Amino acid sequence: MTISHFAQDAAQIALEKFNRGEIDRRSFLFALSGLGLAAAFKPGAALADASEIVVCNWGGAAVDAFAKAYGDPFTKKSGMKVVIDGAGPAVGTIRAMVESGKVIWDATDGGMIDSLTLGKGNLVEKIDYTIVDKSQVPENFAGEFGVSNYVYSNVLAYDAEATKGVAPTGWADFFDTAKFPGKRTMCKWIQGQLEFVLMADGVAPADLYPLDVDRAFKKLKPMLADIIFWEGGAQTQQLFREGEVVMGNIWHTRANLLNKETPDKFKWIWEQNILSASAWSVPKGNPAGKKVFEFINSTLDPAGQLVLLQLMGNGPSNPKTLALITPADALVNPTTKENAASQIMLNPTYYAEHETELQNKYLDFISS
Amino acid sequence: MRNFKTTALLLTVPASLVAIGLYAAPILQVLALSLTEPKLGFANYQSLFANAAVGRVVMTTLKVSVMTTVLTVLASYIVAFAIIHMSAGWRRISLFLVLVPFWISVLVRAFSWITILRRRGVLNSALMEAGVISTPLDLVYNLLGVTIGMVHYMMPFAILLLYANLSDIDRRIMQAARSLGARPATIFWRVWLPLSLPGIALATLFVFVFSLGFLVTPALLGAGKTLMIAEYISVQISSTSRWDLATSLSTMLLLVVGIIVFAAMRSPALRAAFVARPQQ
Repeated sequence: MTISHFAQDAAQIALEKFNRGEIDRRSFLFALSGLGLAAAFKPGAALADASEIVVCNWGGAAVDAFAKAYGDPFTKKSGMKVVIDGAGPAVGTIRAMVESGKVIWDATDGGMIDSLTLGKGNLVEKIDYTIVDKSQVPENFAGEFGVSNYVYSNVLAYDAEATKGVAPTGWADFFDTAKFPGKRTMCKWIQGQLEFVLMADGVAPADLYPLDVDRAFKKLKPMLADIIFWEGGAQTQQLFREGEVVMGNIWHTRANLLNKETPDKFKWIWEQNILSASAWSVPKGNPAGKKVFEFINSTLDPAGQLVLLQLMGNGPSNPKTLALITPADALVNPTTKENAASQIMLNPTYYAEHETELQNKYLDFISS
Repeated sequence: MRNFKTTALLLTVPASLVAIGLYAAPILQVLALSLTEPKLGFANYQSLFANAAVGRVVMTTLKVSVMTTVLTVLASYIVAFAIIHMSAGWRRISLFLVLVPFWISVLVRAFSWITILRRRGVLNSALMEAGVISTPLDLVYNLLGVTIGMVHYMMPFAILLLYANLSDIDRRIMQAARSLGARPATIFWRVWLPLSLPGIALATLFVFVFSLGFLVTPALLGAGKTLMIAEYISVQISSTSRWDLATSLSTMLLLVVGIIVFAAMRSPALRAAFVARPQQ
């Protein structure tokens, strides 16, 4: 998706926790900076010069103190100021910038798929792996045009009261209205949707791509009347809380929050969860040049990724982080070995090629 | 006097420049993009007409807009008609209540409707407790919910337009009709209704054109299943990067609305609505 719906949502979660006093300001700022969401929301200041790094992200959350907490550590290390712009690095926006020759961002937080889309359009620089330490992340997280900063999963969440304590065992149960009566929810953005439908229909994980769209639609068609389509993470929590749905394909971060609220009622399963990687990209002709890769490299540090996991549940892209986490954190982390046992990984190459067409087909299908 | 006119005209220049710079220029840019993205020509418009999905989005938009317009004008006429027959005090209170929704954001209104209409919402709970229904009705996250939300949004506009028109009608005509032996129903159908046609025409046009461009209400109350033009355009701009599709569809929408307004303004009823009435 050319908008990182997930990153926006993660920032919102952090802001809510911060507002409730569940996390302190320092941790909040640290967490957002790990997300690439440290929003020193200063549109006027976003015109970068070579002595600073401008990071673009999705959140306009905590404004003033942000630049300090995020900028200072990096400034200490590198001598460079960091300015963060929360305007949202949509592919369309990056394209407009690069084509008009007025690039103001050095690093953008957009997801592995975006990095490929941007790379294909010749709109981003190649990641300089002489500066960014490739060995910090698994091979498939270090792409030519993007390197992963965190990961997240689509999981099957359910209302255990409504199912009378019976746990679903996989996506097939999403379609079993006899065993689990009630409405469902899934996302109206295509990533991670047809995969679960196909797995429920018996397609083996290895055979998912290229996605058999017709088969997925055929499986989904009889269910459409019972599905409410969500477009943002907060909405998924609301749908479960209000008893509107009994089961759904939602982000693991939101499933975790629901579970924290009402542990006996809302649960989720890791079976067949669908993992996505978020990633940094560097727009072509970025003002700070090569220096931005030093910043990107610093975000791969396990210490920072651990804080991100503890605060929001975003999974670390650096596997070394796993050695640092507590058993409680391990339970909510999508990259923990047990949780990843039957996990499938969203295929960024496939999406970079087909997402536009798929998204429009899907919208047409669910609205007709 | 001539001097005054020149000065008055000059005073409009800054506002016009702002309007052109911030409104007309971007629209022209959209138009230009629709003809040049990805290459020069009318190909985008050709593929727009060949695109079955766009056809379905347009049909949904028309269906929802027509339903909204009919229900809004009907309900608003009843309200406006009642208001003009009230005493001055009640009329003030009623008009105030009509205006209240204007101060509430469209987002808040959409969420409020969700609270009322959802399966365990206010309305369903009340109906179930009263024993009217045994299973909750699907009132929201579908076409019905979208229509309810949109009618609610549009009613204050229509009520005010109709109220202005109805209160302008000379009441002595009704007295004359009554003195000639007409029953109340006859007076309504043969006097009130024909005289209020300009108001009805104006309200219909306004509500219909406004409905065509609805974004937030269908997105929230439709839950993905009621896809209207504005949301479709927004998805093509920000999510799928199909600027060709988005800009050509925007231009078409603008063009169609322009044609509708132009054609409607030529109808006698609407022209009458814009003619200043001599003060009684």
